[in-house]
Amino acid sequence: MDERFVLVGIRPPEPARILPRRRRRRDVPVLSLVFLAVVILGCVFCRYTAIADPAYMDLSGCSLAPGPGHPFGTDAMGRDIFSMIWYGGRVSLTVGVLAAAVSAAIALVAGALCGLGPDWLDGLVMRLTELLLSVPSLLLVMLLQAAMGRSTVTGIALAVGLTSWMGTARVVRAQARQLRRSGFVVAARCMGAGFFHTLRRHLAPNFFPSILFMTVMNIRGAIMAESTLSFLGVGLPLEVISWGSMLSLAENALTGGTWWIVLIPGLTLVCTLLAITETGEWLRRRGRGSAAAV
Amino acid sequence: MRAVKKLAAFLLSLLVLSAAVFWFARLAPGDPLVSYYGERAERMSPADRAQAEAALGLDQPIRVQYVRWLKNALRGRLGISYKYKQDVLTVIRGRVGNTLLLGGVSYLLIFTLALPLGAACARMEGRLPDKVLCKLGTLSACIPAFWLSLLLILIFSVTLRWLPSSGAWSPGAAGGGAADRLRHLALPMTVVVAGHLWYYAYMVRNMLCDELGADYVLLERAAGLSRTRTLLRHCLRNVLPTYLSLMAVETPHILGGAYVVETVFSYPGLGTLSYESALYHDYDLLMALCLLSGAAVMACSMLAQAASQRIDPRMRTGRGEVTGRG
Repeated sequence: MDERFVLVGIRPPEPARILPRRRRRRDVPVLSLVFLAVVILGCVFCRYTAIADPAYMDLSGCSLAPGPGHPFGTDAMGRDIFSMIWYGGRVSLTVGVLAAAVSAAIALVAGALCGLGPDWLDGLVMRLTELLLSVPSLLLVMLLQAAMGRSTVTGIALAVGLTSWMGTARVVRAQARQLRRSGFVVAARCMGAGFFHTLRRHLAPNFFPSILFMTVMNIRGAIMAESTLSFLGVGLPLEVISWGSMLSLAENALTGGTWWIVLIPGLTLVCTLLAITETGEWLRRRGRGSAAAV
Repeated sequence: MRAVKKLAAFLLSLLVLSAAVFWFARLAPGDPLVSYYGERAERMSPADRAQAEAALGLDQPIRVQYVRWLKNALRGRLGISYKYKQDVLTVIRGRVGNTLLLGGVSYLLIFTLALPLGAACARMEGRLPDKVLCKLGTLSACIPAFWLSLLLILIFSVTLRWLPSSGAWSPGAAGGGAADRLRHLALPMTVVVAGHLWYYAYMVRNMLCDELGADYVLLERAAGLSRTRTLLRHCLRNVLPTYLSLMAVETPHILGGAYVVETVFSYPGLGTLSYESALYHDYDLLMALCLLSGAAVMACSMLAQAASQRIDPRMRTGRGEVTGRG
């Protein structure tokens, strides 16, 4: 390549690769990634990170301020907040990931059906998403949650997942409409590939970069929804420790002057959500970069 | 003709929504009689129970109940609230003003403030105020509304004792002076506005920054138009339709946020009411509330679509889809 420039007496173009690579490295949100890694590892191995049994209620030591025995203090029922953070995080993160997985799966199928299927189906599903978007999602989750009966971790993840797939489905639909005319999809269909085969082998890999960001954002949304629901008393009950159910004690703590019951779980929650967002944004930037490179 | 078609789609959507909510609400375990009769419901003899259920029409299959509800609703009778023992509309009428005050004013504030804020940041792209706004946008999207409410209550009501932490007016002064209302509105409204404003300003900023890279901007700058003038006169006009439809789509989001905030501050609005009605199986009330918010949101989105078609000729394609951006 370069010799041709030399042959005709033109200075060969400078290699342009170094610049983007250096910029990309600077873009990595190190702090967020490290924080997220600590939280995830700490929650997965909560048996080792916790210093006390999080469910043990020490009624002689209620609402203790942060101190030597309890680094983050104890809540109104005498449970150690430091240990509860790890155990609660496990539940909260599980709800987030599970709900995001459910919503991504629904979004993939619904979006692809809309993009590839007949017009009437497209119209029907799009009307459905508009309908679902028209009710405040929290009310929707509460209804679903109530209809499913007892609040469990999977139940709440399912309820949140079932009500948060609409945005992703629209993105998938738009992409499927672009892709359906491309050669490889037509060829696969000609060779008799079914809908799910086409989706899995030919479409889903192409959707992946844009879905990844939406899914990460859905994890954030689901964790937030779980905490809000649990705070309102319609999510997980008090005995199932999660960041949300820990905060459901917060309203009483306000008047008692026990600020750590409000602040510590809340700050953990907000920092985790921030780290998730930053990671999501980073993944999107990276996805866009690699898409441009191809 | 298109208006008729839209109206039909609107009514059909409402019908489907009502059926879905009706069905889901009644699938929920729990005893609606408790919310009507209170504690007494648990001590009723089976015969009394059967009679009470028959009186409320709860003994029939869900289909039959729904058809009867629909017939009544078409005649304008939306039923009674089990908890308040009043006509549903009367209960809602008592609360809707409060929610409109909180939600509506917050919505307008967000809507009008986000645009100049975003434009200012796009003008100062990459400089300090812009960076601060971007960070605030990310941060505000990560703070759950209920926790922000708790934090503000902790600071302004508990520690500083400046502002009241709950209700819409001081006890004994129902519907009292405007100053009292404002003091009670201050915290909830701050939460709703602060929770959304940065995010929308950030959106406006991003759209404007994208727009600034277009060829026509280069042409206008070359022709000698100032950056600010190009931004306000030309870029903003291109961004406006997207902004309008975005705001319309996000109405339920803001509304939902206001609902949570109302509950935390025990503000007597529709949010607290929906929460109670879903929790206590107040079926008719829940139906009316869901339909009301559904209808409001759908109407908003239709209005926005019509408005953006008027502003931007590119939106006027066959099925209301955006096809390419120039």
